[in-house]
Amino acid sequence: MWGYIVRRLALASLAIAGVLIIVFFLSHIIPGDPVAAILGPQAPNEVIEDLRHRYGLDRPLHEQFFRFVARLARGDLGDSLATHRPVVRDLLEFLPATIELATAAILIGVIAGMGVGIVSAVARGRPLDHAVRFFSLIGLSMPVFWLGLILLYIFYFRLALVLGPGQLDIFLTRPPTVTGLLTVDAILARDFAALWNALGHLLLPAVVLGSHALVGIARITRASMLEVLGQDYVKVARAKGLAERTVVLKHALRNGLLPIITVIGIYYGGLLEGAVLTETVFAWPGLGRYATSAILSQDFAAIMGVTILIALIFSLANLAVDLAYGFLNPKIRYE
Amino acid sequence: MQRRPFRMLIVLLVVALLPAAAGGAPGRTPSNVLVIGNYIQDMVSLDPAQGFEFVSTWVIEHIYDTLVEFNREFNRATPGLAASWTASPDLKTYTFRLRSGVRFHSGNPVNAQAVEFSLRRVMRLKLSPAFIVTDFVKAETDIVAVGSDQVRVTFNQAMPETLMASVLDNPVSSVVDPAVIRSNAAAGDPEANKWLTDHDAGSGPYVLRRWTRNAIVELVAFDDYWRGRAPMARIFIQDIPEPTTRVLALQRGDIDVAMGLLPAHFRAVQNTPGFVVKQTPTFSIRYLAMNVGYEPFASRQVRNAVKFAIDYEALKRIYQDAIDVGQTIVPARMFGHLPDRPYQRNLERARALMREAGKEAGFRATLAVSTEVPLPDIAAKIKEDLAAINIQVEVQTLRAADVLGIYRGRTHHMIIARWGADYPDPDNLAKAFADFDSRVLAWRNQWDHPVKRLVQQAVAESDRAKREAMYKEIQKVVLEEGPYAIFAYPLRFAVMRTTVKGVDPSPLSETFDLTNVSKE
Repeated sequence: MWGYIVRRLALASLAIAGVLIIVFFLSHIIPGDPVAAILGPQAPNEVIEDLRHRYGLDRPLHEQFFRFVARLARGDLGDSLATHRPVVRDLLEFLPATIELATAAILIGVIAGMGVGIVSAVARGRPLDHAVRFFSLIGLSMPVFWLGLILLYIFYFRLALVLGPGQLDIFLTRPPTVTGLLTVDAILARDFAALWNALGHLLLPAVVLGSHALVGIARITRASMLEVLGQDYVKVARAKGLAERTVVLKHALRNGLLPIITVIGIYYGGLLEGAVLTETVFAWPGLGRYATSAILSQDFAAIMGVTILIALIFSLANLAVDLAYGFLNPKIRYE
Repeated sequence: MQRRPFRMLIVLLVVALLPAAAGGAPGRTPSNVLVIGNYIQDMVSLDPAQGFEFVSTWVIEHIYDTLVEFNREFNRATPGLAASWTASPDLKTYTFRLRSGVRFHSGNPVNAQAVEFSLRRVMRLKLSPAFIVTDFVKAETDIVAVGSDQVRVTFNQAMPETLMASVLDNPVSSVVDPAVIRSNAAAGDPEANKWLTDHDAGSGPYVLRRWTRNAIVELVAFDDYWRGRAPMARIFIQDIPEPTTRVLALQRGDIDVAMGLLPAHFRAVQNTPGFVVKQTPTFSIRYLAMNVGYEPFASRQVRNAVKFAIDYEALKRIYQDAIDVGQTIVPARMFGHLPDRPYQRNLERARALMREAGKEAGFRATLAVSTEVPLPDIAAKIKEDLAAINIQVEVQTLRAADVLGIYRGRTHHMIIARWGADYPDPDNLAKAFADFDSRVLAWRNQWDHPVKRLVQQAVAESDRAKREAMYKEIQKVVLEEGPYAIFAYPLRFAVMRTTVKGVDPSPLSETFDLTNVSKE
């Protein structure tokens, strides 16, 4: 099992290296001068040249790549052209907010999505099933930023049920940073006012972000459950006189989990990349906004840093899903 | 069997909505706190020697003081940290007498050594805004502390008062606390630039309590400020990148002032009781430029034909009236502004001019424009306008960075661009638009015109009336012969609750003076 994990990690590093090379050269092929763009149309030429020299952008391309790799080996991702800070610092600052939002979103997606999917499968063909599938389709078709603004208007402005943009009310002090995740830090510091407040801010963006995951998970759950519910052993379980709830949840769901877990893993990895639209609408200081502005301004160091992070996250998510298979289905063994 | 799934659904819904009860109803902001909603993601640094972005300079202006300041009309310098000053007859050397008893937030005294240190530090660091000083001061030794209460600055050219103030009122010339800087200097960072990026070494009306990137800036009033404590005890600038969300937060009462809204937003809010919109023209310009190096545009008649073909009123409608229609290179509210608007859409005159130039058969030209709303629509309308005089326009919509690259590379035919004044003196605009030798806009459009000599003289003219006349002359020449069709002076808007008083948006930047703001 450990051998398997080590081999998988080695393969993942190979994949990440490939991604790095492609992204590095692609981002430099795009025409445009990021230094001039960042300094603005009125910056004097000497200031532009000076900044370009300071960031080593006047060196030949392959030399820039080797310098990048050499720094990477030391754990240094370079300085962001836009923030003038080490990219590592930027990533560490914005990643926890994204982890928090993505985790909340996937939890909503999993709990609500699986619930809806099971209900839909069990009530198959009946009005409830049709209603559920109809609303799922609507949810999937709505652009995330539009859904976000509409929900903000209804639940924040009109009904005052949730709190507004940002992670925390500006008048509250942040609990001391342990993990960087506001909710977890608040629990650790026993600051329940902050926790309550953070949840109030987290709910709506998590719902919006989780909406697509929710629908996707609901559909795969429904499909998987339908397949499993048609199996012989389910008929046997019912014939034995087991309660329906036990049949559905204990026997059927357990066996139908594999494809659902796969989808959850993929969605979680996708959510962790940061969702720039949701973050923009809800003023969430996450990775999505950082990555997008880096791409738009061709901030090379930041682009590479974000790329490494995303590639890493995705590899780990895939690995976790594969290991979960082994846990769920004892017949699957890894050597 | 149907009831169970239903019940599960209800339970799920309730569980999901429980946290919604968290936090309760959001309240109004307290009366001694001001909350401003804006976009702060592009803030790079709060070090006066480095910060150049809108919000950065706004915050810097409130944490720090400068030697002199501007009056509201931007035509006189007023005392700041300098209580008075004298100028040498050739206007190259100014001697400032500092007011006494002023202290930094740290308690250290603000003296001539601090001023000398601050300005020399800017020159040593050579970061983005440094050119505002180094364009006019050549060496560190040109800034000298004389005793502990006088500072002598020697410029490299004659500096009329407004030009001097443009340099020394600019946030880059803020006075920083040398002791604090020295104690936070590090091996790779001798000027403490990295530390000062998100810390405070100032003497200004507000103290920086925190800056959390992409989230919030918090300022606290400085009790011992030499002008007296500002009315607003705490000020927050909250990052809300989406304008619609800003409007919702304003209407909900979570923020007091919203900046940077789209015209549609503030029109909606304008008609809501309890809210008021304040506006000002800005010192910035939107214009169409023609590359004189592209053969058809070498002819003045062709250039002016373009200026007569454009439908300026239609462009204003595209901007939803969020602009003033101005046509001269010195914008409204600035010293020397010429309010002439000789160009209206007049197809007959335009065609006559094209005939005069022998171009009535027309020609092709590309038009580069960035994706910034609503410039692509402006480009489309201009294309339609110019088709009426037989100019076939091919619009190229590109990223801002690429448009800039084309412009600097001088490979464009026509381009839609913007220029914002770096400092409130007409020299900034005249030099850029009319002086080929300064290698800015006139150079990019390959327009080398003798008026550049007038620009070079006007900057040094000490007689105010004569100087104003020279800038008006320069604007006339640019109107009649230049390669620019200026179509907009953007307006700046701030939307706020009626309880917020004293907000006076500035034409110079995103800022307004927070020390005048109070709430009733």
